[in-house]
Amino acid sequence: MIRIALKMLVGDRPKYIGMILGVMFSSFVITQQSSIFTGIMTRTFGFINDSPLPDVWVMDPKVQYIDDIKPLQDTQLLRVRGVDGVEWATPLYKGLLKARLSNGVFQNCNVIGLDDASLVGGPGNMIKGKLEDLRRADGVIVDIVGAQGRLAKILPDGSRQTLDIGDTLELNDRRAIVVGIASISRTFQSQPVIYTTYSRAMNFAPRERKLLSFVLVKAKPGVAISDLARNIQSQTGLKAVTAEEFKHMTVMYFLKYTGIPINFGIGVLLGFLVGTAIVGQIFHNFTLDNLRYFGALKAMGASNGTLLRMIIVQAIVVGLIGYGIGVGAASMFYHVSKKSELAFRMPAELLIVSATAVTVICVIAAIFSIRKVFKLEPAIVFKS
Amino acid sequence: MIRKYLLPFLALLGFLHAVRVVFAGSQPVVASQPIANPSQSPYPSAIAGAGIVESSSENISIGTMIPGVVAAVNVVAGQRVTKGDALFSIDSREAQAEVEAKQAALSAAEARLAKLRAMPRAEDIPVSEARVREAEANLADAQHQYERWQQVADARAVSADELSRKKYALQMATAKAEAAKAELALLKAGAWKQDLLVAEADAATAKAAAEAARVTLDRHTVRAPIDGEVLQVKVRVGEFAQTGTLIQPLIVLGKVDTMHVRVDIDENDAWRLTPGSPAVANVRGNPKLSTELTYVRIEPLVVPKRSLTGDSTERVDTRVLQILYSFDSSKLPVYTGQLMDVFIKANPGQTEPKN
Amino acid sequence: MTTGVPSNIAVHCAGVTKTYTTETTTVPALRGIDIDVKFGELLMLVGPSGCGKTTLISVIAGILDHDSGECLVFNRDLKHMPDKDRTKFRGENIGFVFQAYNLIHTLTAQENVAIPLLIRGVVFDEALKKAAEVLQRVGLGERLTSLPSELSGGQQQRVAIARALVHEPKLIVCDEPTAALDHDTGQKIMGLFREVAIGENRALIIVTHDSRIFPFADRIAKLDDGKIIAVATAKEFLNGNQHL
Repeated sequence: MIRIALKMLVGDRPKYIGMILGVMFSSFVITQQSSIFTGIMTRTFGFINDSPLPDVWVMDPKVQYIDDIKPLQDTQLLRVRGVDGVEWATPLYKGLLKARLSNGVFQNCNVIGLDDASLVGGPGNMIKGKLEDLRRADGVIVDIVGAQGRLAKILPDGSRQTLDIGDTLELNDRRAIVVGIASISRTFQSQPVIYTTYSRAMNFAPRERKLLSFVLVKAKPGVAISDLARNIQSQTGLKAVTAEEFKHMTVMYFLKYTGIPINFGIGVLLGFLVGTAIVGQIFHNFTLDNLRYFGALKAMGASNGTLLRMIIVQAIVVGLIGYGIGVGAASMFYHVSKKSELAFRMPAELLIVSATAVTVICVIAAIFSIRKVFKLEPAIVFKS
Repeated sequence: MIRKYLLPFLALLGFLHAVRVVFAGSQPVVASQPIANPSQSPYPSAIAGAGIVESSSENISIGTMIPGVVAAVNVVAGQRVTKGDALFSIDSREAQAEVEAKQAALSAAEARLAKLRAMPRAEDIPVSEARVREAEANLADAQHQYERWQQVADARAVSADELSRKKYALQMATAKAEAAKAELALLKAGAWKQDLLVAEADAATAKAAAEAARVTLDRHTVRAPIDGEVLQVKVRVGEFAQTGTLIQPLIVLGKVDTMHVRVDIDENDAWRLTPGSPAVANVRGNPKLSTELTYVRIEPLVVPKRSLTGDSTERVDTRVLQILYSFDSSKLPVYTGQLMDVFIKANPGQTEPKN
Repeated sequence: MTTGVPSNIAVHCAGVTKTYTTETTTVPALRGIDIDVKFGELLMLVGPSGCGKTTLISVIAGILDHDSGECLVFNRDLKHMPDKDRTKFRGENIGFVFQAYNLIHTLTAQENVAIPLLIRGVVFDEALKKAAEVLQRVGLGERLTSLPSELSGGQQQRVAIARALVHEPKLIVCDEPTAALDHDTGQKIMGLFREVAIGENRALIIVTHDSRIFPFADRIAKLDDGKIIAVATAKEFLNGNQHL
């Protein structure tokens, strides 16, 4: 009877395709919107992601998220180093500085100053050059997107030329030479990212009393990271969070203080509702159309269980196909995001979320039909 | 058939693509391995500090007493010198001339003194003696004449006038003989003592002046005050060397057999420090290069931290306690002025501030 | 299990009543029906619209419950059977031919015919094979893969008959099998019925008011207003047709 159910479903092409389109639309909208949302949220902590080495990030107690820089005194680094359980601690500068391009345009850049000796926190994926090259005088490493985009050289004929090793930049009126190009996660503000050493960053940065943005800490083997963070916090009075906590903190800030989640939430909800409406309506219609067949089947001895299975199979097929095509279409945006500023990230959880949504849609649609079929009196078959 | 399986096939394809994207998107980020491991504390509980390497003598900024244009630099950085070795010299031609002038004056004074000391002149004595003999002869003649005339004893034969003339002649000859004798005696007595003293004093003054000029000349050459190593040479021939304390010392000299590390400890951590605690210093860039440090002393005066920004107008609100440690410089390839990461052992129980 | 019904009786009805109740009215549909249908017999139920013919076959087929009286099918009381068992009983023992054929329009003739077997749990391919045989028997051996919409009314009715026969039920219930067919086709269909459906172990009940097919019946029961007002052989009935 399962095959009969499938043939009944597939045979009614317009409704079959209609339902699949409905499910597809839902799963597409839900997956795609959520993926973009996840992508944007991921970008907020892209920098933390790019620096997987440190276990604990130490910062000013009032810092709310990664771009919220409240500098510390240099000696805090030493104090953190003195905390029990710290294997090593390195300074990190992070700040927005103005770069002057060859055509005179100013561009705000995210400048990252890495510990001079160890270069901890540097980009892991170098496209050109080596991280060690940062030790060369005035050396900076530029992210590839920035190098191709906002920091690209504008030639006299108006075309853009990717920034390359050996090119110079002006950072706060100081000369910087590109010694490497790195591929890094996009940041939320999508500014070009420039890596340099901590002491050079001190020169680039405007003169301020405090310039140390973060202290990156690695725990000694066997030391619980959360305990270490708590120790640092109690001993230095600074805020110390694990990398995961810092990501969470950053995301929560954006969730709380920006309209992004509401906008995307509405998109996802709309996708869900519209999908439910379309699929529910068509499926119900489909069942109504087939009601007299179901009646005949019932009269011919098909049990309610058989009919239930038939409807469930139909719902599952519609759900699976619509879901597959929907998430497939949504995942195409991954390729778009590779080549553009589009934020896109599709973790496995999202596939599960949209699968759940599709399941709910199909269950809702099926429940209406099943009720109808269960209440159906087989006697209707004798009515002309 | 194709139509029948087209949609499920598409769906399968779509789902597989989505799964691929999920995997592609969840690739773990490549961690950049640190170029060099950041330094690590060898103690279970430690106070961390930034240490600057200096020579055990502390770094001596060599100055010059005489301002002037540098004429010669005798050392290069890294050269070992012993006490008294010339380091560099200031143009000294003026001083040289002065020395020569003063030397000449000294010679004159000494000559004058020697002349006085050499009196009487031997050649003068025979003259004087001859003059004495002449006077004595004249005296004897006058004596004789007078006696003869007196023996005449006839007042008519001898006029009184003649006789008195003879008498006076005798007296004159006597005086002349005495004068000649006295003259001889004076001559024989040599220079007057007071004259000699004056001349001696003059000679001494001239000598002192000459000495002073020589010292001044000598001061144009700056010499090593201790045995040590030349750490920095910032003076070149032809430059003008100033006196006084300079921001950029002309030459930095230090004793480098044992080096000192001056460790800055945040004042907030100062209470945790036990004087005499063992410590370890790591070379930046290669923490495998590390050495045990020997405690020297604590500088009891807490000083403002030297800031990296170098802005003179900035307000400093961090103060650091400085502790001196020493180590054997032959064990580590470190140089004076280099920064090291220092970990000082602390008592484990002391990590929580007691409120 | 009621005993005392002779073994040659397929359906035994005694004093069967049925009343439809709606919110406002109660409509008595059957007011005490007494009739027996023997194996090997083709019984036609005739009568004006609303006389209760359809209700009666619904009760007999176990689709509706009667209110009172006794209705035994193959000596079994369907009314007091659990729903599940009754459905199963229907599927195994009763074949249906509906007025509107009720062929599933998205399935081929062969698949439609196979449904009763599939309901009983027969493997798909086997069911199709059996269905093909039966279709052969009703003369549609060459239209196995046609959709109902590609078949004429008569052919569709043949498919419906094949579907009613495929699981070899002991009772076939037909509702107006010729209502939508022209005279010739109707005659052919009825001929087919007699040819393939009648058997020793099978009873046929056909509800109709198409007098042209009356001659095909063994017996004809005439209903009016929920009661059987006459039962006669087809010959008797046709002879007395004028004054009935």
